[in-house]
Amino acid sequence: MMDTQVKFEKFNRSKRLRSMVKLDLRRALRSRTFYIILACALLVPVVMTVMLCMMDGQESVNQQTGEITIMHGPESVWQSIGTLPSTESSESAAMGQMDVMAMCNINMAFMGVAVFVCLFISEDFRSGYAKNLFTVRAKKVDYVLSKTLVGFICGALMLILYFIGSLISGAICSLPFELVGDMTVASVALCMLSKICLMLVFVPIFVLASVAAKQRAWLSICLSLGGGMLLFMMVGLITPLNATLINLVICLVGGTLFATGLGAISATVLKKSSLV
Amino acid sequence: MNAVEIKGLSKNFGPKQAVCSLDMIVPMGAIYGFIGENGSGKSTTEKMICGLIPKNAGSIRLYGRDNTDPDVRAKLGVLIESPGCFPNLSVFENLMLEATNLSIPDAEREVVKVLKMVRMEGAASNKYKNCSLGMKQRVGIAMALLGTPTLLVLDEPLNGLDADGMRIMREVFCDIIKDGTRSIIVSSHLLGELQKVATHYGIIRHGKMICEMTAAELDASCRTYVALNVKEPNRAKLILASKYSRVEEDEAGYIRVYDLTTPEEIVKFLYEHGVTVSEVMSDKIGLEEYYIDLMKEGR
Repeated sequence: MMDTQVKFEKFNRSKRLRSMVKLDLRRALRSRTFYIILACALLVPVVMTVMLCMMDGQESVNQQTGEITIMHGPESVWQSIGTLPSTESSESAAMGQMDVMAMCNINMAFMGVAVFVCLFISEDFRSGYAKNLFTVRAKKVDYVLSKTLVGFICGALMLILYFIGSLISGAICSLPFELVGDMTVASVALCMLSKICLMLVFVPIFVLASVAAKQRAWLSICLSLGGGMLLFMMVGLITPLNATLINLVICLVGGTLFATGLGAISATVLKKSSLV
Repeated sequence: MNAVEIKGLSKNFGPKQAVCSLDMIVPMGAIYGFIGENGSGKSTTEKMICGLIPKNAGSIRLYGRDNTDPDVRAKLGVLIESPGCFPNLSVFENLMLEATNLSIPDAEREVVKVLKMVRMEGAASNKYKNCSLGMKQRVGIAMALLGTPTLLVLDEPLNGLDADGMRIMREVFCDIIKDGTRSIIVSSHLLGELQKVATHYGIIRHGKMICEMTAAELDASCRTYVALNVKEPNRAKLILASKYSRVEEDEAGYIRVYDLTTPEEIVKFLYEHGVTVSEVMSDKIGLEEYYIDLMKEGR
């Protein structure tokens, strides 16, 4: 055979990552799950708020004790985003009273992202596309970074759509848009930005669970929700409606640390395990 | 420089040793027929070449570089076990995704080109899940061909293909290696088809490479034989066995004499013993029989 020198094009990290992100975004934009998750993010606050407003003032009687409970609807449009600072309570206290709005608010988006990331990654392995992907991509960290970024984008979009959905539902139910207590427009914006940054804490957890579970989507969803559950509680506390710059910095630093640490673990899991 | 150089490659799955100190050399410009029984370690070796499973020991060099080098890996085309496609996307969209993955500049044109190569341009808009087995296999090959890969690793690419599909694949393979730098590793159980294109062979058994040879070496190793059609095969066999060392009856009822001799000499010998020969021909055993013989020897 002839002894010819073969030249290979140099692929630096940014070029590799760019094409990987482009591929994942292209895939996400063509997947039904992506649109269903985003539609849910937009519709859930509308349905929830309208339902709770309709139930406002209704009495329910406990058949055994005879105790009468009066249902309270939302008092402000901002309750879909977080617990109002002027109310007696921190979110945990509200949860103790089974305040539906405190439990089922925008923070549910974090669970929605878990489902999206798990289905998105497991599909790579289930379809066998992982073989093509990892054959031409020797660096597993590219894969992890790309999935984290796409998960983060999806999460950010969900939060934004949930926010829009909350405003729409508030308008439908004629809820007050007034900012109460020490809430300002800036603090609401910082609250939203903090939540978006906090996605960087959650998405790497979901990515790690997914690369560990590979094609078993059910396992990755269970692991993600289980692992995430430990942190879901803190979302409300760390991103209140009266958030300051400190909240944003904490979320950003936490997100960066989690993304780096868990990203490295995910890449190691991929390196050490069979990808087919 | 060789396209693939493997030294002392080993892989264990728990207590089971799937590949054991395997050495393998695929020269540049070769179509390397990788042959072995089911479970002999072919797919495992191919997966390790592509970096899909971690190895326990040994080294894999592709074009003189370690197989973990991202630049060399970016020029690999692969079809292992089944094509990696998303079932709900169309054939075209699946290929476009792979083109994006490979950072191909004019992706659409390249996709159309590979679809034409595998004669699938008419089914580009079909959803992948609605394709037949043969069509899926063609899509898998088209996907592996995207971006003019330097090394193609194809595991059973001929499975499910019709006669026309196999002919097309042969043409595609020969076209790929024309420039002398691109190489193909093909594993297949369709040895007759493989023999038509392979320039080199590697035979693996129980995770060990038992034989590596060129097509010319195989040709030289394949014994010639004389096949006879006689009226009394049992008697003829006994008579021939008294003079020749290896006499066998094949599935079609022909008696084969493998010793180095001429058909005339055998016909004359049988005639002298009163056996009439109605048909005689001289031929060579093919890759399939060579392989079966080799496997028998090892048992």
